[in-house]
Amino acid sequence: MGNVERCDKTLPLNEMIFYVRRDAALRARWLTDLAGLAREFGLGQAEYEALRDRDVRRLNEMGVHQYYIPQILRLFYGASANSNAHPALEAYRKAYPEEAAASDRLQARLGRGQG
Amino acid sequence: MAQVVAAMALTHSPGLTGWFDRAPENQRREARGALDTMRERLRAARPDVILLFSNDHLLNWPINNTPEYTVGIGAEHAGPADWYDEWLALEKYRIPGHPAFARHLVNEGARRRLGLAYLRDMQFDDGVSVPMHYLNPEGDIALVPVTMNCTVPPIPTPERAYQVGATFREIVKGYPGAERVAVVATGGLSHEPGGPRYFWVDEEFDRWFLELLAAGDHAALLRECTLERMEAAGSGGTAELLAWMVALAFTTGPAEVLAYMPAIAWRSGTGMVVWPHAAD
Repeated sequence: MGNVERCDKTLPLNEMIFYVRRDAALRARWLTDLAGLAREFGLGQAEYEALRDRDVRRLNEMGVHQYYIPQILRLFYGASANSNAHPALEAYRKAYPEEAAASDRLQARLGRGQG
Repeated sequence: MAQVVAAMALTHSPGLTGWFDRAPENQRREARGALDTMRERLRAARPDVILLFSNDHLLNWPINNTPEYTVGIGAEHAGPADWYDEWLALEKYRIPGHPAFARHLVNEGARRRLGLAYLRDMQFDDGVSVPMHYLNPEGDIALVPVTMNCTVPPIPTPERAYQVGATFREIVKGYPGAERVAVVATGGLSHEPGGPRYFWVDEEFDRWFLELLAAGDHAALLRECTLERMEAAGSGGTAELLAWMVALAFTTGPAEVLAYMPAIAWRSGTGMVVWPHAAD
């Protein structure tokens, strides 16, 4: 099966993101008190560091659900105009350069949009 | 007895509203044209209620409890959820629900051994907001949303989705009112949201899948389009097409494919179909 099967359904970070997105007060703390949020939700040190470092590949490999990783990045970088040129997507490009290059080649073959 | 008067399916990618202008002009034109056609066909069918099959992107249910299907039974639906409105570039909207019809689904499901969770206050992200923006922009057609879990393992099989769709069809037919029901499925086509192939679209898979729909042989489609095949075309996202397989059970014969775009800018294979004929 595919990447989604990497998901660790019992990872505290996967529980934390659900509640943060739905709560304006928790979202406000994301940029000012990430360490405090991580403590309250019982994240391990490796989870916290991958989150703090915005490390897409590590987050994916430790079992953060793949839907949540772009949402984590939007909490850091902002949610509007989330095109392929957005900083949240640039983080993906850096984490998975080979996959991004393959997509670029496909895009070039299909006729380029504005990114 | 309620009657199915329309059946259609479309992609719900957030790029269709949030960064629509980033796709090439030919894709924008094709998408606009197909969405206009769908809206006109939906209006022409004069539905009393839209029964919409989508999926929950871990918005309504936490990862420790993801029901297979959930029905929105509220008297009114409001969206997009806070924080998602900015992402989708959509204003807040309100759409009337149809509690009697929705509660009938939940209770008759239980009597037929189909367990359906329900929510009075369902939250909406792209899965419902994008199709409603294009198909029900005035919010004047009542909505009963049904979300499925097709993203948190274990992911259901196509056979299961079709079987659930057939049960829903029987339940809808058994509704005592004379409601005219439009079935709308949303999700897909190939994409891998948040995975390593986030920017990838599998055009070959998408065109193959749409050809299977256009051929109209449901058994062949279920035999060929396995969960493994969908996962290979984009993990964690392509299986949103299971919502299309739920809708498929409401139909008979070929689907009419209105449009297909391998839209990397929207990070999703993007397609729109209508089924001209409802199943008896």
